[in-house]
Amino acid sequence: MIMNKKQFLSSADIEVHTLEFWIEQQWLIPDQTTAEMSFSDTDVARAHLIRDLKGDLGVNDEGVDVILHLVDQLHGLRRAFEQLHEDLRRPAG
Amino acid sequence: MRNPYEVLGVASTASSADIQKAYRKLAKKLHPDLNPGDKAAEEKFKEVAGAYDLLGDAEKRKRFDAGEIDASGAERPQHHYYRDFAHSDGGHPYASSSGYADFVDSDEALAELLRRSEQARANRRGRDLHYSLVIDFAESITGANKRLTLPDGGTLDVTIPPGLVEGQVIRLRGKGAPGSGKGGPGDALIEVEVRPDPRFARDGDDISLELPISLPEAVLGGKVRVPTPTGDVTMTVPKGSNTGTTMRLRGKGAPRPGGGHGDEFVKLKVVLPKAPDPELEEFVSRWDRKAFNPREDGAS
Repeated sequence: MIMNKKQFLSSADIEVHTLEFWIEQQWLIPDQTTAEMSFSDTDVARAHLIRDLKGDLGVNDEGVDVILHLVDQLHGLRRAFEQLHEDLRRPAG
Repeated sequence: MRNPYEVLGVASTASSADIQKAYRKLAKKLHPDLNPGDKAAEEKFKEVAGAYDLLGDAEKRKRFDAGEIDASGAERPQHHYYRDFAHSDGGHPYASSSGYADFVDSDEALAELLRRSEQARANRRGRDLHYSLVIDFAESITGANKRLTLPDGGTLDVTIPPGLVEGQVIRLRGKGAPGSGKGGPGDALIEVEVRPDPRFARDGDDISLELPISLPEAVLGGKVRVPTPTGDVTMTVPKGSNTGTTMRLRGKGAPRPGGGHGDEFVKLKVVLPKAPDPELEEFVSRWDRKAFNPREDGAS
């Protein structure tokens, strides 16, 4: 689902200045194809992760930066691994 | 549901600080997004989070201890984790290949295999394309419409939002490389660099500027022109202004996230004529220099 800024703030349950800070930090990269920013379900799930990290897990801003970077790399690796796995299972030819 | 004290591994007499500590320790280990390959992590984390919802809230804990509520009410609703999206075929701007790029660079066979696997996916989303764009300081404050010329000769229209910060990334959905099958195109990710303006410095939503003024303007006051990101404005320098006196131009800074604008702070700097001015020298020699010594205590 694609949502506007207001819907996103309510789904992610964060304040507007928090969102602006997260965008500045490049923790979130909203779609800016049109003049109004838009957000996806992926952005909401990522916002929940950031909120969990900062809130429940007590991670500071520098820590969030490092964790997101590593989590993104981990998903990249998982994807590459999955592709290789599929390729190896596919019959030759 | 198990006894929440057991779930968190704390005694029923544990302090709220101990409960938080125990929860954090477990959450760091079990959070599903920190364990993307562990299917069981979500259930385990849910149980731990549910226990903490109950015991981490003093009021709920009291009622639980008194037997007024039971642990079954503490279960957290279904939650979608980032891992469910980060791994999807739909693609997203956060994907990173830096965890294995070195293998691909150093091993042709592996690179070829990865490339073929990627192509073999019937509905493959196109790659994200990365660009960079340099804008002027004033444009970063006021926003702007820019056109980016791409290496293939095409163009991309980019709307710079007002108040953009150096290094911010703008994502244009569907403006990346084309996909195959039902996979849509990737996104264009544009990292925006702000060309510094020697006159201005930015501090959050506020900007600052050092403004040279003449001796008569400092002593007698007067109207001066001051540059702002939206063009020059006229400002009144009060009588008796000094180097370091700071004036505020309200609302001339960057837009604030919640609405409104930051301010522009204008720091005055009294500047004497570069060439010696006999008239000024003559005048100052007549001025009672003993009356004011800025190096003495109490001087103002």
